[in-house]
Amino acid sequence: MTKKQLGIFLTVVVLLLAALIVGIVLTDGLYEKNVNIQESMQDAVLHEGDKVWFFGMQVNPGLISAYLVTAVILIFAAIVRIAVIPRFKIIPGKFQLVLEEAVGMFDGMAKNNSPHRNKFLGAYIFAAAAYIFVGTLFELVGFPWQSVAEKSVTLPAPLSDINGAISLGCLSYLVILAGGILSTHVRGLGRTLKEFSLPISMSFRLFGALLSGLLVSELVYSYMTLSFVLPVLVGVLFTVMHALVQAYVLATLTALIYGEVTEPYVKKSKVRSKENNKQTKPEVNV
Amino acid sequence: MPLNIDWQQILLHLLNFVILFAGLWLLLYKPVKKFMNGRREKYEKMDADAQQKSAEAEEKRAEYEQKLASADAEIEEKRAAARKELDNYENMRKSAAEEEASAIVSTARENAAREKERAVSDARSEIAGLVTEATEKLVLKESTSEAYDEFLDAAEKSASEKNGGKA
Repeated sequence: MTKKQLGIFLTVVVLLLAALIVGIVLTDGLYEKNVNIQESMQDAVLHEGDKVWFFGMQVNPGLISAYLVTAVILIFAAIVRIAVIPRFKIIPGKFQLVLEEAVGMFDGMAKNNSPHRNKFLGAYIFAAAAYIFVGTLFELVGFPWQSVAEKSVTLPAPLSDINGAISLGCLSYLVILAGGILSTHVRGLGRTLKEFSLPISMSFRLFGALLSGLLVSELVYSYMTLSFVLPVLVGVLFTVMHALVQAYVLATLTALIYGEVTEPYVKKSKVRSKENNKQTKPEVNV
Repeated sequence: MPLNIDWQQILLHLLNFVILFAGLWLLLYKPVKKFMNGRREKYEKMDADAQQKSAEAEEKRAEYEQKLASADAEIEEKRAAARKELDNYENMRKSAAEEEASAIVSTARENAAREKERAVSDARSEIAGLVTEATEKLVLKESTSEAYDEFLDAAEKSASEKNGGKA
């Protein structure tokens, strides 16, 4: 038996043993969850049963996630500011390129969608996108926290908490409203108020998108038989993709509507010259 | 509130996001953008400098071409002036030579005339001497024919000497 054949044989044996052990575990009723799936999903949506303490207030675990995500992002930014940015080179390295690409992408998005007023917009959509992206990925960590009822709860994505989603949606609307008023005054206010459904749509889009991922993950984890291999795919599909897509969608929508409401008013000329009328008027031979 | 919406938590989320926005803007967005803008301005300046230098070089090239063209004309002009000056010099030299030649000729003429006068006067005085001598001999000798022969011999001798001296 050659070394190659021996390797194949051992691999097959190990795989068979692993499969048998998994089968034995899965067929044992001991490992089934006792928690009702309806209750589990209701908790995931409403967080009524897993409130946590936050400076003496009972809050949803998503708020703790939000502050932790902010802390993580700010610590990362501080390290980058101190250790990386002073060493920036004219020809960028890999990490510098990533940073420049991220900043340049949102700055370019702001400039393209809102050519007249975009300095604040670029910074805002950059921060919002970073928050959504990192916040959504935070769900993958599965950070444990103690609830008010002294149970262990896993911290969810900040925006899977409806309050977080509403705050970001409404803040985006307020930013658009402020931009409209500052650039075109009453006309900007009117344009923004015309989009009255925007805060609701933005908030619930974020909430729904992130919650759907959370619910599917909860559903998958509720059944022991689905807890192998599948969560990796589900995690990738509903977390990583959501992180990218939702960050991009909110940034694009905010930039687009901000650009619309801050666009300077151009008076349309209604009077057409008589000569043009004559030229365009068809001649009729009687 | 339905769906567990809580205004206090919304405000807490807003506070969190405002902190995040301010921190990210100060720590990451602003410095990176500043660096990128600085680099873009540097490259724009380099580009503008290169364009300016290119324009200057083009301008200089045109100027040199113009100068080259004018230098050809100038060279031709200078060549014509030199030719003219040379002609003038040649004419001057020629006229000077002619003047010198005419001066030499006039001097030679004067000298020749003077020589001629002197020769004539010498010949006159010599003839006069011969006549005197012949007369004396005629008077002193007996026969006239002898005296005449002697006179002719003396005259012939004198004439042959003169001719031989000139030849």
